[in-house]
Amino acid sequence: MANNIVIETKGLHKTYDESKVPVHAVRGVDIKITEGEFTAIVGPSGSGKSTLLNIIGGLDQPSEGSIIIDGQDLSKLKPNQLIDFRKNNIGFVFQSYNLIPVLTAKENVEFVMLLQNRNEKERSERTKELLDAVGLSDKYDVRPTELSGGQQQRVAVARALAPKPKFILADEPTANLDSTSTRNLLDIMARLNQEENITFVFSTHDQRVIERARRVISVEDGKVESDIIK
Amino acid sequence: MLGKLAWRNIWRNKLRSLVVVISIGLGIWVLLFLLSFNQGMITNYIEDGINTQTSHLQIHNPKFKDDKELKYFIENPETISETLASDPTIDKFSTRILSSGMVATSKTGHGVNIMGIDVDAEKQITNLSKKLTAGDYFPEGKKNAILIGGKVAEKLGVKIKSKVVLTFQDVNQEITTAAFRVLGIYETNNAKFDETNVFVRKTDLARLTNLPETTVHEYAVLVKDIEAVESTTAKIQAAAPNQLVESYATLSPDLALFESQSQLSLYIMTTIFMLALVFGIINTMLMAVLERMKELGMLMAIGMNKTKIFFMIVLETLMLALIGGPIGILLAWITVGLTSENGIDLSAWGDGMKEFGIATTIHPALNLGSYLTVGFAIMLTAVLASIYPARKAVKLKPVDALRSI
Repeated sequence: MANNIVIETKGLHKTYDESKVPVHAVRGVDIKITEGEFTAIVGPSGSGKSTLLNIIGGLDQPSEGSIIIDGQDLSKLKPNQLIDFRKNNIGFVFQSYNLIPVLTAKENVEFVMLLQNRNEKERSERTKELLDAVGLSDKYDVRPTELSGGQQQRVAVARALAPKPKFILADEPTANLDSTSTRNLLDIMARLNQEENITFVFSTHDQRVIERARRVISVEDGKVESDIIK
Repeated sequence: MLGKLAWRNIWRNKLRSLVVVISIGLGIWVLLFLLSFNQGMITNYIEDGINTQTSHLQIHNPKFKDDKELKYFIENPETISETLASDPTIDKFSTRILSSGMVATSKTGHGVNIMGIDVDAEKQITNLSKKLTAGDYFPEGKKNAILIGGKVAEKLGVKIKSKVVLTFQDVNQEITTAAFRVLGIYETNNAKFDETNVFVRKTDLARLTNLPETTVHEYAVLVKDIEAVESTTAKIQAAAPNQLVESYATLSPDLALFESQSQLSLYIMTTIFMLALVFGIINTMLMAVLERMKELGMLMAIGMNKTKIFFMIVLETLMLALIGGPIGILLAWITVGLTSENGIDLSAWGDGMKEFGIATTIHPALNLGSYLTVGFAIMLTAVLASIYPARKAVKLKPVDALRSI
């Protein structure tokens, strides 16, 4: 598989000036993530890993430096362009699932494709394919409140994959899950990574995720402390 | 999908949405009913004014207006009668001889306008014949018959068949006295009118004032379509340039004033209601936005743009109004339908209302236009009220919103 660079950060800094004492959350991060990676960004609370993930996901702006996704410098995009860019290129999986509570599992997965104006046939086929892939073929019409945490997170993974993004950003995806659900979820993501070459980037301090990751980037005090490829 | 999402969102908090829907519904119900009540009162007042006093238009000798002397009658009334009879927009007309004087008994007297009427034509023009509370409307063959108002009868202490004496000037300004018999007592919705007007046969008044029977001081005219009053007035005025032709709005400016004042109070009432509704909706929708911050942040993160978020909030608000609005309109329609036939009896306040010439039974009425206007106003209010919460939603930064609890 060709090693296309999907994510590239150059001299990334992020400083929060809201309080009297500025907080340097990210201090000069240069990383490159290539297509098909299964990478964990690890570090203790307050290390800056979530900030880094938010910047990579285009949810936050760096104070300095640039972030380039698949050749596009995110700092050059206007807010609505950035939203469109995220819609088409980045899949998000959040710690607390963040599904739309009033929509069923199927509708949640379909939602981003609707935003992309995909036709009904395509939406329906992909939704089915993805929900089947995450083992929820019997939960199409169930709302999130009726699903377990693990099942909700699997719907979230299916939703993140729906728009065929360049990569999936998962912010502490297993933090609220028990060990069985965590193992199931990691199995699904590892399989999608290996079989379909989908790029996954996690922020986590869950040892179970770190063990499964093929590359582990440790962040501390806003800097990359180590970058280990297994 | 936006519609489905908005619809499901409003039912996330059923109680809150129901409270808003019910308040919109009740508000519209009350507002429309008040409007219909007001409209009924205006219509009653104007119709009463036209049917009892002014008709649609009147014709006088211009000098009669300033100085109500018998000599200021209309010249060549035949020509005017012909003009009126041949005009297709005119329904009916009657002619009157007018004088003023004193109606008295042995006990007391009372100053009145004496209206000499053509009893058959007058029956078609005014509602006098239907307003009798005692006696008959000018029975055949009874000379010197008089109809007086209930208040006057009370003041004079007379009943049906009592004799009263009318004192007035004739055309030569000689004082004339004549005995009349009270054959009818009437009561309109306007106490002032009842106190100041008595009716006699035109022929009797002509004879007693030494005027020819064909004399006319006043033409009272009804047109076929009330909307055509002003144009007909202008047309008749052009045909009879030496006379003064006036519509009911000029003759009785209080009718127009009452109408405009009532309209003004309606606008004020509607505005106050809509303002209250705006703040109610803003409060509700703001709560709905603030408690969904994290979700809105997620929607923006996964690619829902600000325009769609904005319209989703507007749509949610509009849906609440679209449920509450028709409920209120339906309730109002039913209530107006139930009360318009028999009217609402306000006779407990009757005396005070009659002093102002307002009927004691109000028949609420509302035209389709008012329903549509209020319906449209509600939708507009809902959209306007949703702008602030919707702006609040789109101003959220996904990264901050996602962090919120």
